[in-house]
Amino acid sequence: MGNFFSSMFDRLLGAEKELRILILGLDGAGKTTILYRLQIGEVITTKPTIGFNVETLNYKNLKLNVWDLGGQTSIRPYWRCYYANTAAVIFVVDSTDKDRMNIASKELHLMLQEEELQDSALLVFANKQDQPGALSASEVSKELNLAELKDRSWSIVASSAIKGEGITEGLDWLIDVIKEEQM
Amino acid sequence: MGVDKKIKKFLRDAIRVAPKISNKGELFELRNGLVSQYPQTRKDAIRKIIQQMTSGKDVSSLFPDVLKNIATQDIEQKKLVYLYVANYAETHPELCILVVNTFVSDAADPNPLIRSMAIRTMSMIRVDKILEYIEIPLRKTLVDDNPYVRRTAVLCVAKLFQLNPDLCRELGVLNDLQDALSDDNPMVVANALAALHEINELDPGSIDIKKLVSQNVKRFLNVLNECTEWARITILESLSEHKPIDPMESQEIIDRVVPHLQHVNPSVVLISVKCILIHLPNLNTVHDSIYNKLSTALVSLMSTPVEIQYVALRNIRIILDAFPNLLRKELRIFYVKFNDPLYVKIEKLDILLRLVPVDNLKHCQMLFNELKEYAKDFDHEFVTKAIQSISQLAIKVSNGGEDTNNKFLNMVMEEFVSIVQEREEFRDILMRCVCDMLRYDSDNNLIKETSKNELGAIISSWQDIDTIFTSDLGSCNYIWFITNYTNENLETKLEPLVEVFDELGSLTQMSLLMGVVKCHNAVSSAFLQKILELCTTDVHDLDVRDMAMMYWRCLSIDNGDQIINQLFDKHEIPKLHSTLDHFSKETLQSLLQELSTLSSVYFKPISQMQRRPNEVHIIKDKDIDELKGMATNEILKNMNDDVLLDMGDSSATRSTGVLDELNDLFDITGDMGKVNISQKTNNNNNNTSNSHATDLLDLM
Repeated sequence: MGNFFSSMFDRLLGAEKELRILILGLDGAGKTTILYRLQIGEVITTKPTIGFNVETLNYKNLKLNVWDLGGQTSIRPYWRCYYANTAAVIFVVDSTDKDRMNIASKELHLMLQEEELQDSALLVFANKQDQPGALSASEVSKELNLAELKDRSWSIVASSAIKGEGITEGLDWLIDVIKEEQM
Repeated sequence: MGVDKKIKKFLRDAIRVAPKISNKGELFELRNGLVSQYPQTRKDAIRKIIQQMTSGKDVSSLFPDVLKNIATQDIEQKKLVYLYVANYAETHPELCILVVNTFVSDAADPNPLIRSMAIRTMSMIRVDKILEYIEIPLRKTLVDDNPYVRRTAVLCVAKLFQLNPDLCRELGVLNDLQDALSDDNPMVVANALAALHEINELDPGSIDIKKLVSQNVKRFLNVLNECTEWARITILESLSEHKPIDPMESQEIIDRVVPHLQHVNPSVVLISVKCILIHLPNLNTVHDSIYNKLSTALVSLMSTPVEIQYVALRNIRIILDAFPNLLRKELRIFYVKFNDPLYVKIEKLDILLRLVPVDNLKHCQMLFNELKEYAKDFDHEFVTKAIQSISQLAIKVSNGGEDTNNKFLNMVMEEFVSIVQEREEFRDILMRCVCDMLRYDSDNNLIKETSKNELGAIISSWQDIDTIFTSDLGSCNYIWFITNYTNENLETKLEPLVEVFDELGSLTQMSLLMGVVKCHNAVSSAFLQKILELCTTDVHDLDVRDMAMMYWRCLSIDNGDQIINQLFDKHEIPKLHSTLDHFSKETLQSLLQELSTLSSVYFKPISQMQRRPNEVHIIKDKDIDELKGMATNEILKNMNDDVLLDMGDSSATRSTGVLDELNDLFDITGDMGKVNISQKTNNNNNNTSNSHATDLLDLM
C-alpha cells in the first residue's frame, strides 16, 4: 500500500519524473568521461568501471537519470538488467579503434533487439575525434550499419569528451526526441 | 515513431498508477516499483522488500533490480540496499560485480557514514570477485581522517582475514592493523585489538599478539577511560591475558582497573574483577581495601536482572573457590528471595554454603533457620537442594567451627528426625543426608544415641521399600542405614528389594551385597547364598559381580569371618570431612582465566569444550564460459522443441503425394540427425527426439 500512496502523492504533488538514459559501449570508449562531462562539466581521470555509475542531472527542465555501465566483456551480459523503462540509449564508440568496430556493431544490434528497448531513442557518439586517425561520423555510421535501423529515432554525432565537443549537441538532439515521444 | 505507438504510450502513462497487488504477484509489483521513474516509489519498494526480507520471505529474485538503486544520495535508501546486498550476495554471486564500482566510489564519499558503510558491507560479502577489488577502498579507509571510518576499517581487516587470509597477507594490511594500535582514537585502538584477537584465533601463527599487548599495556590503560563498554571489555580481556613483567606493572594495571568496578554494565564489572583477580597474586602486598572493592562490585551484580545474576553467581562460585576470603560479610545478599527463579535459588544456596563463616555460630544458626524455611517450600528441586544444604552446613560447622558439645550437629539431626516424619516425599534426599551425617560421625561419639534410635525406629517402620525410593542413591543409602543402624530382622526388610533385584540400580545392588555380607551372621545362610548368587549371575555391572565373587571366596575360606569383620570395621574407614564439592586445582586455574565467558557458566574449561570450527566459504561466481554453456544449452533445448513441433505438423498435414512425403521425411530425418549430434550434451532431450525418430520411421 505504501507504494500506492506514495506514487499517488508523486503525481498529485507533481514530483518530477526521472528519465532513464543508458550510456553503453565497449570498454575504453569514454562512457564514464562523457557522464562526468555532463554532470560536472569537467574531465576526470577514470578507472575501468566495474559495475556502473549513475548520476542525476537536470537538463533543460528535465531530470535525467544517466547510467554509465561498464563495458568490459565480463560485464556486458548484465547490461540487459538495466534495460527496463529506458528512455534513450547513448552508444559510445571509440572512433580510433577500427579493429573492434565489428564487435561494437554486434553488441549494438544485439542490444537493440531487446523488447524493452523497442521504444527508446539511440544516440551514437563517435568519440575521441581529437585523436589522430579517428574515423569520421559517417564512416563510423557505416561500420556500425546504422542505416539498417528502422522504426527508431537515431542519430550519430562526432564528439570528443576530452575537449567537450559534440556532447551537448548530441544531448540536445536526444532531449528533443525524448520530449516529442514522451509528451 | 508511429501515431498508434504514441497513443499507446500516452495511455500507458496516463493510467500509470501505483503498483498494486495484481494477479501477477507481489514480486512482480515490487520489481515494477524498483524500476519506477519516480524516486519515492523506488524507495518505497525497497522498504517493502527489506520488510519482507527481515520477515523471512525470499526476495532474492529481485537482486539485479535492487542493485540498481544502490547508487543514490539518499542515505537511508543506500543503507537499505546495502543490507539487502549483504544478505543476498551469496545467491547471486555473478551479479555482485555490478556493485563493485559503487562500493569503491562510496568508500571515497564525503560522508564518513557512507564511507564506513561501504567498506563494512564490502568486506562482509563472501564473493571472491568482490574481494579482488577491496584493496583500494580498504587502504583508503584504514588511513581515513575520520576515526569512525578507521575503526570500521580495522574490523574489516579481520573479516577479510576470515574470508581470505592469503589475500590479507598479500596486501600487508596486517601491518596497518598493528599500527592502528597506536592510533589517537581509543575506539580505533580497541577495535584494532579486537580484530587482532580475532585473527589470532583464526590462525595463531600469523601475529604475535602477546608481544603486541605487552608493548601497548600503557596505551591500553590510558585509553581505557575513554572507551565504550565493548571496547573496555576487549581491552580488559587482553590485559587479563597479559603476563606482567614485574609486580609494579601488575600494581599499575590493578590501580587503573579498580575504578571500572563501579561501571554500570555488569559485563564490564565482571571482566574488571577478573582482570584484578588475575593480577592480584603477583603483588607483593595486597591491601584489604581491594578485597572490599571486589566484594562490593560482586554484590552490585546481584541487583541486575535474574539472567545476569545467574551468570554472576556461577562466576562467584568459581571466584570463591580460589579466593575464599572475598564476600565474607555479604552473606545476607545471597539469601534466596521468594520470586527468584529456581536456577538462581539453587546457585544461591551453593554460594551461601561456601560463604558462611564456620567460626561464627550466630551466622550459622541464622543460615540454618533460613534453610529450614526453604525446606518448607513447594518446589521439589529447591526443597531437595535445601535439605542437602542443611546437612552440608551441619558437617561444615561441626568439622571446621567451634561447635561446643556438638550442639549444632545434634540440633540439625533432631531437625532431620522431624523432617523425615513430616515430608515423606523427600525420602531419597533425606536418606542421603542422614547417612552423610552418620558417615561423618564414623567414630560414633558426636551424634546422640537417642536421635539415632529415633531415626532407626522411623525408617525401619517404612513399608513398600521397593517403590518408595525414586533414585538409586536413595535406596542405596536406605540399605546402608538399615544394615548399620537397626538390628531388626534384615531378611524381611530386604526381601522386597531382593525380589526385584534385576531392576535395581547398580549402586543399590552393591549396597545390598555389602550390607548382607557385613551382617552375614544375622541372616540365614540361604539368604546370603541367594544374594551372592544374584550378584554373580544376574548383574550387568562388572564391579558388583567382581565384588560378590571376592566376598564369596572370603566367606568360603577358613577364618573368613574375621577377614570380613576387619573389612567392615567402621574405624578403619576414613572419615568424611566435607560434602561440598570443589574444583580441582588445574580446572580452577583455567576457569579463573576464563571468568565471564561461557565456560565459567558451564564450569567447563574451554579446552574441554567441543568447538565447531569456523567454516566460512567464499562463493565463486560462475565463469563466463559456464554461463555461455548454460545459455547455449537452453537455446538448443528450445530450438529442439520447435523442430519437433514442426516435424509433427509436417508429417500430419502432408498425406498426399508419397514421393513428396518421402522427400520431406528424408529432409526432416536428416535435420534431426544434425540436431541429435549437436545435442549430445543434452541427455534429457535425446530420448524424446529418438523416440520421435522411431515414430516417424514407423509412419513411413
